[in-house]
Amino acid sequence: MKFGKRLKQQIEETLPAWRDKFLSYKELKKLVRLISSAESPEFGKADAGAEFMYLLNNEIDKFNAFFMEQEEDFIIRHKELQQRIKRVIDTWGPGGTKPSEAEYKDEMAKVRKDMVDFHGEMVLLVNYSNINYTGLAKILKKYDKRTGGLLRLPFIQKVLQQPFFVTDLVSKLVKECENTIDQVFPVEVEAEIVKEQREAITVAGKGIFRNTVAALLSMQEIRRGSSTYGHFSLPPLDFPDSDLIHSFQLNSPITTV
Amino acid sequence: MEARPALSIQRSGASQLSNHGVSGGLSSSLPVLSTHLEETYQKFSDTQEVHAEKEMMTRPLAHTTRLPTNNGVVGHIFSSSSGFSSDIHYSSALPNEKHSRNPPFISQSPTNIAALPLSQSSNSLLPQSTIPIHCNKENSGSWCTDPDFLDFPEWADQLITGDDALASNWNELLVDNVTDMEPKTTYQVAKPCTTVPAQNQQLPSPSVESHSVVNPSSSANNAPAKPRMRWTPELHEAFVEAVNQLGGSERATPKGVLKLMKVEGLTIYHVKSHLQKYRTARYRPEPSEGSSEKKLTSMEEISSLDLKTGMGITEALRLQMEVQKRLHEQLEIQRNLQLRIEEQGRYLQMMFEKQKAGLDKLKVPSSNPENPPAPSDATNDNESPTKSQLESSQRDHVNSGTGTVNAKSMLERSPQEICGEHKAPETGDLEKAETCVSESSSQPSKRPRIEE
Repeated sequence: MKFGKRLKQQIEETLPAWRDKFLSYKELKKLVRLISSAESPEFGKADAGAEFMYLLNNEIDKFNAFFMEQEEDFIIRHKELQQRIKRVIDTWGPGGTKPSEAEYKDEMAKVRKDMVDFHGEMVLLVNYSNINYTGLAKILKKYDKRTGGLLRLPFIQKVLQQPFFVTDLVSKLVKECENTIDQVFPVEVEAEIVKEQREAITVAGKGIFRNTVAALLSMQEIRRGSSTYGHFSLPPLDFPDSDLIHSFQLNSPITTV
Repeated sequence: MEARPALSIQRSGASQLSNHGVSGGLSSSLPVLSTHLEETYQKFSDTQEVHAEKEMMTRPLAHTTRLPTNNGVVGHIFSSSSGFSSDIHYSSALPNEKHSRNPPFISQSPTNIAALPLSQSSNSLLPQSTIPIHCNKENSGSWCTDPDFLDFPEWADQLITGDDALASNWNELLVDNVTDMEPKTTYQVAKPCTTVPAQNQQLPSPSVESHSVVNPSSSANNAPAKPRMRWTPELHEAFVEAVNQLGGSERATPKGVLKLMKVEGLTIYHVKSHLQKYRTARYRPEPSEGSSEKKLTSMEEISSLDLKTGMGITEALRLQMEVQKRLHEQLEIQRNLQLRIEEQGRYLQMMFEKQKAGLDKLKVPSSNPENPPAPSDATNDNESPTKSQLESSQRDHVNSGTGTVNAKSMLERSPQEICGEHKAPETGDLEKAETCVSESSSQPSKRPRIEE
């Protein structure tokens, strides 16, 4: 139940509003177990398969609905942020209508924070999509293994085309966001300072930052290689700065600050 | 391929169901399922399962992506009806979709079962022309001549003026796309027996059929099943333009915006919900579903940022950006890998089918009895080393960043071993590899072709 545990963790640490939008992995797994153990005549293979598919389809609907709504929100917010930046520059910026360095700095700081959080939220949506996909692939594999069915391949092909899995647009927005952020952030003596000061950093609360760190760690764990490793499995995850990420100590969600 | 026999079994199973006086067949199977599912899926009525079967029966191999989902939707219609509106256009609103996940709409299954027979014969779902069986059924269905069809505008309007909350729910369900809409779909027709969403009424189903809709060529939404709108930045730009022309988000009306935008396939529901979101976004900068939590957490974050010794807020933000970028990168890589893996799977499947077809043609009575022993050992032996070889090569390759391409070529190079492997994970049974062996014995001749 390693994936199940990971998923559960992710769900716990994710934005509260998202919590019930994830794959009901546990329930589906129970169903698979039920199906494979209960070989009652009325509940034959065909029924079971249909039932299973039905539930999966509902899950997919759920993902799609949530994903597309979030995507729509992101599109709107993305545009709004850009306009907001423009407004700030035009009003309080050096060449603006009422130039004021203090205000400008202030507003820009807020904008930056919002942009970074926005960026994080979008990335988390991509993560949401991916983790649900992974869960689906796993549950399908389990189903096929337990019942000898051949549901997996065709079904997963279908899943690949679902809107929730096609994250191109969100990724594009993410990249655009990154560009904007680069422009908006003061040019500084960069990463050297940051690297030097990489002490243990505690990440409190339920912030977006915490979520992304959690998501990365989860991903690494999930891909750590398992007993059922096959050629349909993903290789272990290895990314630079993995030590850094691990050094973030995630406090419990209960804030003590 | 093995898939086919399975499907045909389901086909016959399902058709049996539909042939019985439906109710008979249904009532026996449903209770069993309901007990099984009660704990986890109380919301779903049993009737929906039947629809799933029907859908299985008519959908060969995942041809269209969203059909089954519509299946669910239709199921919802019957089981937890809470007012549908159907448009003469493409989109239809299905408040059920969302509500079905909420307890209030637990269907009155017994009563609905009676409704089923009728609805079953007129199969809902499957709009596409790729499934002629259903199309015929549907077309022969009564929706064209349904007297209630004409009533739509009325109660549709009633529904429109209903809850805003509902409206936004409906709109989520509206499929659709933008500019390149091809009106090649069917309509969703539902009996307007409920005007109050909260009521749980049973639909007089005889004339009810639902079809799924659309297919926007520009979106990845390939199956008509659910009318769902996928917004794009370009579309949003057009929207903003229109709103500005009308004097701002407060003054603009959905109807006006819709007219100005002149986008084919866009309905007022889409516009309405989008406008709502837009207004919220403007008056509470950075609103989101999690915004209230975010406000809270941003406070926490700021204090935690202060804790990050020596780090100013900007540096902290930079760090956050780094992590986020990293995550995004990894997600993209992972996604690409997943796509390739499935591509491989599909390729292998195709190869299997080709071989099987070829094998059936070439089948000689004594089909290589002396071959199996040797190749089977060889194949079995090859499996594990090759598997680990593949795994390690995958690992290495990915780490070096050229992973996806190399992994793919690795896999391609050894179709024979994969033949055995493919079966093994699928069935978890090494003995099955032997059935593959007979196929693989014909492989050497085919190999050059494969590798081309």
